[in-house]
Amino acid sequence: MPHESRRQFLKKLALNPSKLVSEPGTTLVCVFLRGGADTLNMFVPYADDTYYKIRPTIAVPHPKKGKNGPDSSLKLDDFYAFHPKLSALLPIYKDGRMAIVQAVGTDNPTGSHFETQDQMEHGDAYRKTAGGGWLARYLRTRFGNSLTPLSAVSIGPIIPESLRGAPGASAISSIDEIRIKAPCENPHVLSKALSNLYKTDVGVLSAPGKDTLDLLTRVETLRAKEYKPANGSEYPDSGFGRGLREIARLVKADVGLDVACIDLDGWDTHFVQGGATGLQAALIETLSTGLAAFDSDLADWRKRVVTLVITEFGRRTYENGSLGTDHGRGFAAMVIADGLQGGQIIGRYPGLKEAGWILGPSGLDVLFDYRSVLSEVLTMKMGLKDCKEVFPGFQPQDMEIFKRS
Amino acid sequence: MKVTRRDFLAISGLIGCSLPLSGCSNLNGLIADRMGGGIPEKLPVTNDPQIDPVFHLLSRAGFGPRPGDIERVRQQGTKAWIEEQLEPEKIDDRLCDLRARRFESIELDPGMCYEFKREVLRKDLSRYHLLRSVYSKRQLLESMVEFFSDHFNIYIEKGDCIYLKATDDRAVIRKNALGCFRDLVLASALSPAMLVYLDGKENKKEGPGGIPNENYARELLELHTLGVDGGYTQKDVYEAARCLTGWRLHSGKGRGTAYFDKSLHDDGEKVVLGAKIPRGGGAKDVELLVDIACRHPSTARHIAGKLVSHLVSQEAPPALTKRVAARYVESSGKIKPMLREILLSQEFRSSAGLKMKRPFHYVVSCLRATGADTMAGDQLLEYLTRMGHGPFQYPTPDGYPAEANPWLGTLLWRWNFAFALCSNSSGAAKISLSRLWSAVGLNDASARSNAAEILFSYFVGRRPQNSELAAIQEFADQRNLEDEMARAELTGLILSSPAFQKV
Repeated sequence: MPHESRRQFLKKLALNPSKLVSEPGTTLVCVFLRGGADTLNMFVPYADDTYYKIRPTIAVPHPKKGKNGPDSSLKLDDFYAFHPKLSALLPIYKDGRMAIVQAVGTDNPTGSHFETQDQMEHGDAYRKTAGGGWLARYLRTRFGNSLTPLSAVSIGPIIPESLRGAPGASAISSIDEIRIKAPCENPHVLSKALSNLYKTDVGVLSAPGKDTLDLLTRVETLRAKEYKPANGSEYPDSGFGRGLREIARLVKADVGLDVACIDLDGWDTHFVQGGATGLQAALIETLSTGLAAFDSDLADWRKRVVTLVITEFGRRTYENGSLGTDHGRGFAAMVIADGLQGGQIIGRYPGLKEAGWILGPSGLDVLFDYRSVLSEVLTMKMGLKDCKEVFPGFQPQDMEIFKRS
Repeated sequence: MKVTRRDFLAISGLIGCSLPLSGCSNLNGLIADRMGGGIPEKLPVTNDPQIDPVFHLLSRAGFGPRPGDIERVRQQGTKAWIEEQLEPEKIDDRLCDLRARRFESIELDPGMCYEFKREVLRKDLSRYHLLRSVYSKRQLLESMVEFFSDHFNIYIEKGDCIYLKATDDRAVIRKNALGCFRDLVLASALSPAMLVYLDGKENKKEGPGGIPNENYARELLELHTLGVDGGYTQKDVYEAARCLTGWRLHSGKGRGTAYFDKSLHDDGEKVVLGAKIPRGGGAKDVELLVDIACRHPSTARHIAGKLVSHLVSQEAPPALTKRVAARYVESSGKIKPMLREILLSQEFRSSAGLKMKRPFHYVVSCLRATGADTMAGDQLLEYLTRMGHGPFQYPTPDGYPAEANPWLGTLLWRWNFAFALCSNSSGAAKISLSRLWSAVGLNDASARSNAAEILFSYFVGRRPQNSELAAIQEFADQRNLEDEMARAELTGLILSSPAFQKV
C-alpha cells in the first residue's frame, strides 16, 4: 500500500471515533506462541495413518495404544486427540468453552519468523501494510470510549508489534513494580516535574511519558489489596504463569483492561522436539496448566474474557533428520471464551500432503486466513462493528467460532 | 561501596603484575587517576541551543562522553579522533582492562568454559560487555561490537551457547567488528556458538533424500547478508543449507570446537543465487557460499542501510546509504571505509538528538556522564533485565530491536535507575555528585540558582529550551539544594528527561 493511502487510512481512524463500537468491558487476552508451534502434535490427527508414517519418532501415540497410559493422546472425537499434556484444558473443551480452528495461517511465503510474526501482529496481508498493529487499530476504534492507561498491557519487557501505534500501552511483568522509587519520601513532587518535562517533548516521548505517569496513579490504588487467585487456582511457576496471574488481577480490578498480550517462547523445535514427552511437551504443559488456572481463577468473569492463542506458522508435517520439524504453514488456533461453538475442531483438515517449493516452506495447507479468526473475535466478543476498520480491504470468511444469537 | 572498592584495589594489584606496565609508579598513577573519580577539576558547559557536534559524535559513535572527553576530543579534532578510533589496537586501554579483564571465563577456550557454572558464565559475559562499554576508550569498537552482537545475535540460554559465546565474542565479533564483513560472516558461520544457536551442527546429509536443517541457512540470507527483500528464493535457502551440511562440534577432546565431517556433507553440485558451487567442494563449500552472499549487491545495501540506521537515523537517508554501500563494494566489504563515510557525512552531523537510546545505551551513558564507579554487578544487570535489554538475552536471531517503539514502555525503569544512581542507592554504581557539581561550577550556593540550566547543558550537550528549563526549574525551586538528596533528585530528573533519552 503506498504511503499516502496508509496515512489517509490512519487519518480516517482518527476522525471517526468510536461510534462503531459498543459493549465495552471485555478483555481480549492474546497469547502468542513464538517460534512457530507444531500444533499437529498438540491436536493429534490420530486417525490419519500418514501422520504416524511421516513422524516416525515424534508422533504422539494413538489414544488406544498405551491404554490411557501417560503417553497416549486424549481422544476428542473419531479423528482428533489432545496431546497428553493438554489434559488440563480437556474439561474446558468438553464444556464447550474452547474451540480449535484448524488450518489457519497467513499468505506469507517467506517462512521467516520475523516477517510472519510482523505481518500477523500488524494484521496485514503479505507485503501490504495497513499501518501499526492490529490491536492498536482496534483500540483506536475505541477512542472516546474511556481508554485508560491500563487499556493495553503487555506482559514482559517489550511492547509487541501488535500494539504498535496503540494509544497507550504498557509493558510490565507485575503490577507491584509500577512505582517511582524516589530518593526522598515524596514521589509526587517528582511525578509532577516529570509530567511537566514530558509535556515539553515534541517527539515520540511525550505520549509514553504521560501514559506512564497516569498508570502510576492508577496502580497505586490497586496495589493496596493483596491478591489471592479464586477457586484454589494454581498458576504454573513460570514467567507465563505469573504473567497470566497478573492479567487476571487486572481483569478483576476493573481498571479498563481491553487488551492483554503475553508470549510463550521456545516453539522453534527444529531439533529433538520430542513427542508425548520432551521439549515441546514441556511447553504444552506450561501452556495448558496456565490457561486452565486462568480460566478457573476468572470463573466469575468468564463473560468478560476471551483468550486467543496463535503462533506465526505451523511446522512441516514430516520430521527432519534431527528429530525435529522445520518451518511450515498452517496451524491450529485456539479460542477460550463463553458463547463459542466450542468442544469441536472447527475448520477442515487439509491432509498431510506437502506443497511444492513455489509456495515457500510447505506444511499443512492454509485454508483460513488468520484475520478471519481475529475478525470474528473482535466483532463477536469485542464489540467491533466493522472489521474493515481493523483489517482494511479484507473480506473475512465466516468461521462460525461463536454462536449466533 | 567500600567492599567493591577494596576488591578492585586488590585485583588491580594482581593484574598489575601481569600487565606490561613500565613500573609500579605508572600503575599507581593510572589507578589514582581513576580513583580520583575521573572527573576533572573543571568541566566547561555549553551554552549553545544546538547539540555540540563533539557531544553528538561521542554519543553516537560510542556510549556518550565521560567527564573530560569533550574537551580532549575538541582539542584533538573530530577527524583525528575518528581515525584514532578506527585503529583501536593503538589506543591504550589499560584502565578498562583493569576492570574488565578480571573474568577468567572470558579468555578461555570454549572447552574450558564447561568447567564453569552457567550463572558464572552469564554474569562474566554480561559484566565484561558492560564494563567495556562503560570504560573502554575504544568507544567506536564497542559500539560496533554492540551492533554486530545484535546482527549476529546469539541467545546464550539456548543449548550450550553460554559455554561458547565468550569465544564467539572474542574470535568472531571483536576480532572482525572493524575488519572485513566477509570474514565476519565466515567466522560467524563456523562459530561453535552459532552452530548451536541456529542448529548448524545438526545440519547433515543422512543418506539419499536426507533433509537438511535450514535454520542457519535461512538466517544467513535473511538477516546476516542479503536481507529479507534481498532477492533470494526458498530454493536458495535449501541449496545454502546443503552447502553447510557436515559441520559438527567435538564432544570429547576439544569439546566445543567445530570440525568438518565429510561423511555428513552433501557433496553434490549446488546453485545458490544463480552461482554454481561445484560438486566435491567439501569444507570449502561454506567459503564459496559466504563469498557469493557477501558479494551480492543486496548485501551491500542491507549492511550499509543497517549501519546508517544505527549511526544516523532509523529511516536511513537513501543517498547516504547508497554512498556507504558503494564503499562496501569498492573495498570488498571493509567496515572502516563505511564508518568513515558515515561519521564524516553531513547527514550524520545534522542528525543530533533524533534517535532514542535503547536501554543499554541509556544505562551506559548515565554511568559515563556521571563518571560512575561500577564493577557491573548483579544490581546493574537487574536494571538492564528489567528494561528488557540484558546482554545476549534476546531469544530470536534478529537481535534486539533497533527502533524506538518497542522500548517506549521502559521509561519508568529508566527513571528509577536515574534516581537510584544519583542518590547512590542503586547498589550498581557509585558516583561522586559533589565532585561533579563542583566541576560544572555549582559548588557555591550563589551559583546553584542556575543548577537546572547548567546540569541540563552538561548532560544533554545543549542548553535547555525555555519550556524544558521551566519544568526543571520549578522542581529545583521547591527543593533545598543544600540538601544532598535534593541534588540527587535534580540530577536524576535531568537524566530522566526526554532529552537525555535521546541521542
